[in-house]
Amino acid sequence: MRIALRLTVALLLLLAGAAATASNDKTFDRQVPAQPRGVVEISNVSGSIEVSGWDRSEVSVHAELDTGVERVEVASDGGRTTIKVILPHISGHGGEARLQVKIPKDSELDVSGVSADVTTSAVLGVQRLSAVSGNITAELGGADAELKTVSGDLRLKGHGLPARLHVSTVSGEVHLEHGAGELEASTVNGTLSASLDSARGVRARTTSGDLRFEGKLTRGATLEASTVSGDLNVRASADGGYAYEVSSFGGEITDCFNASPARASKYGPGSRLEGTRGEGAGHVRLKTMSGDVKLCDRP
Amino acid sequence: MTGPTDANGRKVATLRELPTSIEPARDLWPRIEAQLEEVVSDARGGAKPLRRRGEALRWLALAAMLASLAVGVWIGRSLLPGAGGETAPATAANRSTVPALAPTAFDAAYVSDPRYERQRAALVRALQERLAALPLPARTKVSASLAAIEKAKKDLEQALGHDPGNALLQELLINTYQDEMRVLSDVHEASDPGRGI
Repeated sequence: MRIALRLTVALLLLLAGAAATASNDKTFDRQVPAQPRGVVEISNVSGSIEVSGWDRSEVSVHAELDTGVERVEVASDGGRTTIKVILPHISGHGGEARLQVKIPKDSELDVSGVSADVTTSAVLGVQRLSAVSGNITAELGGADAELKTVSGDLRLKGHGLPARLHVSTVSGEVHLEHGAGELEASTVNGTLSASLDSARGVRARTTSGDLRFEGKLTRGATLEASTVSGDLNVRASADGGYAYEVSSFGGEITDCFNASPARASKYGPGSRLEGTRGEGAGHVRLKTMSGDVKLCDRP
Repeated sequence: MTGPTDANGRKVATLRELPTSIEPARDLWPRIEAQLEEVVSDARGGAKPLRRRGEALRWLALAAMLASLAVGVWIGRSLLPGAGGETAPATAANRSTVPALAPTAFDAAYVSDPRYERQRAALVRALQERLAALPLPARTKVSASLAAIEKAKKDLEQALGHDPGNALLQELLINTYQDEMRVLSDVHEASDPGRGI
């Protein structure tokens, strides 16, 4: 009887262990030394990638891995730290990996994902983030940034520190708050919405997505925006004012300073609005085929 | 150095001193006549070989025409954009939503760089296969973007048809072509198995 009881308990423990192994994700933890201004490269196909900057000279990786993930490789060579999620070669659908990575805050960060969502915070170095269908949420820290998705959305938050920002997506939406410096942004049919505290140069373009810009231009800055069928809504003030040219082939042009658009051609369709606000130090050029345009120099 | 001389061996100073006509030393006509008769008799006696040669030439022309046609069909099927031989087989997932990115009359008018055309044709050929490699939600959204670009191109081209000199429309059309190229390149890169992401 006692032997039977012991065997039953042992069997139950064995089954419980097997079940735990089968259902629970694996976890992975690793810390490696890193240079304060080194480069950190991270790649992950599916799941998520969360990166945050800290004051230590080391890279810390914590990962939760589905059973479909083979392993995580972390390599450090000179000033470059590489973190790769490896999937089995024969697997058609690998599992997800959820990565939490801490890097020296002044590092240069290079992240690529496929359907993995990417989030960064408190990273002050250059950021190059790309995803296919994953979303990108990034905190901008005053260094240049290049952000790119195919269908994922981009949500970016800056602190008004000037930098060069290059954002592109095919079908995702772009939302930027408190940017500064130079912005080059494009999407095809997603909405592009940008708010810049002080912009030196803005070039933004959509095909059918609506485009909204709000913010302040530095003296002599240039803002150029165009759509094919999306609406354009620009509320831009500027030190030294700006000269503006607005052209639309089939859309309506309105403004908040009582200027009246003129016909672009005596016989054909199209309208045009031109003028100067303040000293006319900067330039604002807005163009669309069939979208409506609203221009205002007040917030 | 000696100059030209006349029949009497005197030096010729002007063209006027040259004779206006020179009689041949002998009558040339009998020999010419004999050669003409020979040709005519050959033609009468050898009509069959000439006809055979004509038939052979006709067959040769027909063979050349068929060969040209075959080469044309091969080029059409295997080299041109959207050619059947290079296109990935359509599946239920990718058949319905992807718009045809066929070049239009305005492609020729506005986009004449051969390198651009080659790159675009290659990207369009590989598009179905690359789209199939994307996750399904991404594929659906990207297909919608490609459809938006295609519609924008058509709308702009239609408007330009009514107002060909409109600089605004021309600029927007060029922008749209650039955007199309960017999308094709991005899709290509995103689904490139060699990149390892």
